Amino acid sequence: MKPHHHIDEATLVSYAAGALSEAFAVVVAAHLAVCDACRETLAQAEDIGGHLMRLQAGVPLDDTSLARMLARLPEAERDTTPVQPPSRHDPDVLPPALWPHFGPSYRALRWRWLGPGVHYIRGAGVDEDHLMLLRVAPGRCLPMHTHGGSELTMVLRGAYDDSLGHFAPGDVADLDSDVEHQPVTAPGVPCVCVAATDAPLRFSGWVARTLQPLFRL
Amino acid sequence: MRLDARPTHVIPLMARRMPQSPNQATDDPAYWSGKVRAVAAAHDVDAFILVFSHFGPRLKRYLIGLNADDAQADELVQDTMLKLWRRAELFDPARASVTTWLFRIARNLYLDRVRGQRHAQARQDALDLIEADDEVDGAEQLLDVARLERALQALPPPQARMLRMAYFEAKTHAQIAEELSMPLGSVKSSIRRSFAKLKAAMGGSR
Repeated sequence: MKPHHHIDEATLVSYAAGALSEAFAVVVAAHLAVCDACRETLAQAEDIGGHLMRLQAGVPLDDTSLARMLARLPEAERDTTPVQPPSRHDPDVLPPALWPHFGPSYRALRWRWLGPGVHYIRGAGVDEDHLMLLRVAPGRCLPMHTHGGSELTMVLRGAYDDSLGHFAPGDVADLDSDVEHQPVTAPGVPCVCVAATDAPLRFSGWVARTLQPLFRL
Repeated sequence: MRLDARPTHVIPLMARRMPQSPNQATDDPAYWSGKVRAVAAAHDVDAFILVFSHFGPRLKRYLIGLNADDAQADELVQDTMLKLWRRAELFDPARASVTTWLFRIARNLYLDRVRGQRHAQARQDALDLIEADDEVDGAEQLLDVARLERALQALPPPQARMLRMAYFEAKTHAQIAEELSMPLGSVKSSIRRSFAKLKAAMGGSR
C-alpha cells in the first residue's frame, strides 16, 4: 500500500504539536502507519518542535523536583523491550490506531443504517470532534456536500472518486470548508472509510436534506 | 524566574533565548545522546541529572504554554524524565535527537493527562513499531542548530507568530484563524510556508 493522497503538512505540524483533537489524531495515525512519506514529514515537524522547545529559556522547576526525581529512579523498572507488533496480514484486522474506538475486527463491526447504501459506526470514547466509520455500497453516488469545518477521511477498503481524484486504501482526503465534493464509490466492493469531522456535514439537494439529520451523529 | 506577565504573542519567537554559556557543548545533539547512552549502559545518575537540569525547565515552559498549571507541569516533567530513564536503552540517535524524543514524550503525556486523550501513547507505540522497521542509514541525526535558528529568526513576524501558536499553545488551525481574524485557508498556507522554510534549513539532516 503506497498512498497517493497525503495529509496536509499543516495538519502534520498540528499532530506534532499535540494540537489535534483525538478524532483527527486517530485518522492521522492510521495513515501514518501506511505512509513512509508522511512519517518522514512528521519526524521533521517533531524535530522542529523539539528544537523550538530547547531554544526557549526554561521555567525553574520546583525546588524539591530534582530530589523527588532521584528518589523515583531506584524503583523504576527498565523498559527494554518494544511492544510486540500486531499481525499485519490478517485481512480482518482494522488498523491498530482504530482499535480503542472500533475494536480490532472488521467482522465484529456493528453497522448502523444511515441512508440507502450507507452505514456508519460512531467511534467510542471520543470526546472531541466526531470520529466515524462509513461504509458505502459500491457504485453509489453520495450527495454533494461541503463541510462546516474540517474533515479528514482515510479509505480502508474499496475506493471512491471525486473531483480531487481516485482514493484507494491508505489515501486520505484532508479537506476544509472550501471544498464541495460528491464522492462516487468504485464498483465491486463497498467502500469503508474512517472519518474525523469537527462540524456536521452540509448537504445540498432534497435527498441530502433528508439525510442531513442522520448525519448529525 | 517566573513566566512574565505579557501576553506571549507579542514576544518574538526567540526572544526568550537564554544567554549562551561559554560552553557550546549543550547545543550539540551528540553531547546529549552520549548522556542518554550513559544512562542506558551504566545507569549513570550524573548523566541523568545533566539531562534533567538542562531539559527539565524547558519542558516545563513548553507544558505551561500548553495550559498545564505549575504543579501539573512539574509532574509531567518528572514523568517525562522517568520515561527517559526507563527507556534509555530503546533510544536510537539515528532516529531522533534527545530533544525530539523528549518533546514527543512530553507531548504524549500532555495529550493523555491534560487533554484526556487516553490512547495517545498507544498511537505512539504503534508508530514506533512501524518506524523500527523503517530503514535508516545508522548515522546519528545531526541538526545544524545555528542554521535552524537563523531560519526561525528570518521568518516574517506573522508566520513566526502562527508557528508559535501552533507549537507552543497547541492551537488548532481553526482557533488560530479565529484569534487572528484570518481565513482558515490562509492560516494553513502560512504554516505550510514556514514549515517548508524550516525543513530547508534542516536540509540533509533527514
